[in-house]
Amino acid sequence: MLKVQNYSKSYGGETKAADNVTLDVESGDIYGFIGHNGAGKSTTIRAIVGVLDFTEGDIYIDGHSVKDEPLECKKITAYIPDNPDLYENLTGIQYLNFVADVFEISAAEREERIRKYADMFEITEALGDLISSYSHGMKQKVAIISALIHDPKLLVLDEPFVGLDPKATFTLKEIMHEMCGKGTAIFFSTHVLDVAEKLCNKIAIIKKGKIITSGTIEELTHGQSLEEAFLEVYDAGK
Amino acid sequence: MRGNSILFKTLLLSTSQRNIYKYTKEKKKKGRIITAYIGIFCLYAMLIGYSLATCIGYGKMGLINAVPAICEVTLSTLSFIFTFFKTNGYLFNFKEYDMLMSLPFEAKTIAACKFLYMYVKSLPWYLSISVAMLIGYGVFAHPAGIVYPLWIFLTLVLPLIPMLLAAFAGFIIAKIGSHFKKNNIVQTILTFIFIIFCFSIRYIIDALIKDDKVEQTLETIKNANDKVGSVYLPVKWFKNAILYQGISDVLLLIGVSLILFSVVFHIVGKSYRNINSALTSHEVSRNYKLKAQKKNSVVNAIAFKEFKRMTGSTVYLTNVAMGEVLSVIFGVVTLILGFNKIVAVVTQNAPFDPAILQPAIPFILYFFIGMVASTVCSPSLEGKNYWIVQSLPISKKTLYRGKMLFNMYLTVPFMLFGIICMCISAKVPLINTVLYMILGVALCAFSTTWGCVCGIRFMRLDWENEIEVIKQSAAVAIYMLPNMFAVMGLVVFVVILGMHVDHKIIAIIMIVIASVLAFLSYLRAMALAKRNIK
Repeated sequence: MLKVQNYSKSYGGETKAADNVTLDVESGDIYGFIGHNGAGKSTTIRAIVGVLDFTEGDIYIDGHSVKDEPLECKKITAYIPDNPDLYENLTGIQYLNFVADVFEISAAEREERIRKYADMFEITEALGDLISSYSHGMKQKVAIISALIHDPKLLVLDEPFVGLDPKATFTLKEIMHEMCGKGTAIFFSTHVLDVAEKLCNKIAIIKKGKIITSGTIEELTHGQSLEEAFLEVYDAGK
Repeated sequence: MRGNSILFKTLLLSTSQRNIYKYTKEKKKKGRIITAYIGIFCLYAMLIGYSLATCIGYGKMGLINAVPAICEVTLSTLSFIFTFFKTNGYLFNFKEYDMLMSLPFEAKTIAACKFLYMYVKSLPWYLSISVAMLIGYGVFAHPAGIVYPLWIFLTLVLPLIPMLLAAFAGFIIAKIGSHFKKNNIVQTILTFIFIIFCFSIRYIIDALIKDDKVEQTLETIKNANDKVGSVYLPVKWFKNAILYQGISDVLLLIGVSLILFSVVFHIVGKSYRNINSALTSHEVSRNYKLKAQKKNSVVNAIAFKEFKRMTGSTVYLTNVAMGEVLSVIFGVVTLILGFNKIVAVVTQNAPFDPAILQPAIPFILYFFIGMVASTVCSPSLEGKNYWIVQSLPISKKTLYRGKMLFNMYLTVPFMLFGIICMCISAKVPLINTVLYMILGVALCAFSTTWGCVCGIRFMRLDWENEIEVIKQSAAVAIYMLPNMFAVMGLVVFVVILGMHVDHKIIAIIMIVIASVLAFLSYLRAMALAKRNIK
């Protein structure tokens, strides 16, 4: 579903924010992307979702090149940034309707999905309020609902659990499991290794823009905890 | 096309004060929105009054047929300048870029919708000027009935070409800037160069097309506008459409606007992601070595924070510091060419002794420096970072004192430099020069404190884009327009007074008035700061 092939990105200087990154996320995968702050996770994610321009390598979503067919890619992808910049002066429901309009979701379908996810995240009653009055967690919930509204084939999330309350964190994990069961590919970055260990079937670790290891949880941990395996691999500085 | 309309509607809704008013539960916020609307409508009224008065002037002089061209030139100039300043921040480098680009929109769709949004938001200003001029034109010229709807329709088309040209210029600057590591600085410098070029182009054209001495200033402006029409064709098309109801001119104006729109956004769309990627991403050097640190006073620390905020944003810097740059250029040019020559160029060789303008020197420089004060927008620019200053152990009064101090640091040196240059060039006596310098400082103090009053009174933290605060806020409009008209009036007043009263006396009177106004504004700002518990 998602193929990142030899992707590199530099900002004009000598160091590369992403250096020859190659990843393969299949349908039904929950793929965790782990690394320190500034390791290149967001740079890679922003390129995958078509926000960041790049010159080296290519990224394919369901066989479509992000470079050459960005619209085809975006139609089947949903992205939740780490700090969602939503339109603050719209109400929650106005924003969700905007996204539903963009994806041409029928009135019945959007109502059903908004009701379902808003109830799950216990935010239904707040949807009539301006987003500017929301807490960070509530904004994050609206961003998540907007990402799920068109039933994407690929869900890309940047630190999705930051700011969510424990109940919402649990709900999101449930939704991720449910979507993965339906064949959606999920790719997300996180610092919470416990979550990654329990949620993901595959992991990639990035350090200074380079993927230092990737594979299934079993291949990476060899019976250790993910935390131990991560520190071992990271400190070895492969 | 469908995507265009969805995005365009949402852009308008997302910054609609009506939407906020409808859904906010805060009574204070509702009150602020109503006050801001009243303020803006007063400004529209002022603009209409000024435009109408201009038309009456032309009508009385028997030059009413020049009004269509003057209207076109005015709208084109304003729309070009305002759009150019907004390009970085609206078209490029805007906050919700990631969110929009991750949705299935084409890059050119996003760029075009952002442009149309700027256009629609500016229309009420342009319509205020144009409709007022149409009324004046109607009263004096008694045109055919068709002219009225045609004029209004063409007013909707008129700003498109200059706005597209400005957007394209902004695109070129952003594209060049995106190739540099310090793209912010490069963009700022290029913007300054471009604006200075635009300011001087009028004089370059004047120099190129100037006839022999023309006695009447109004006729000079009429002739200049006619000449501009021969260079900038939309002026001619609009004038012919109104004066002779030329259908071909109407079609040309519409057709060229539409073609230019398609071409510009086809080109912009191709590099859109590339430019925004470069502008929204920053390379980190990670080679900092911790050195000995300096301790600052609280107020100075806030002033330094303001300085960093200003230099970190091309939009903020170009808007706030443009007056300072122009004052330096004006001062140096005056020194090189001579005060009398500059007066002759600006007044189109009007027959009077340039020495009578000496009492107006501080006001001329204030016209550059005082038109924008950082204190007008800096309270709102805290935006989402407002929690930082709120959680610090400093009072609001200290916070705003710091902001005011920064504006004084920013304006006073340039004001003094400009005054010294002009006084040397105009051979102003030393004592008068000192008085003008004191007056300049007092005017800076007034600009700072009055700006702070407007900034706190119309503070808005829930903006989507900093341009909403820097260029479009009620605070900026309410600070700038009355200030501009008052300064124009004061220049005339001190010049007339200077013909009968000693220049030193005039300067002292003005120093006292400016100081009192600055002090009163300071007290008002402090009172508002005390109440300000957003």
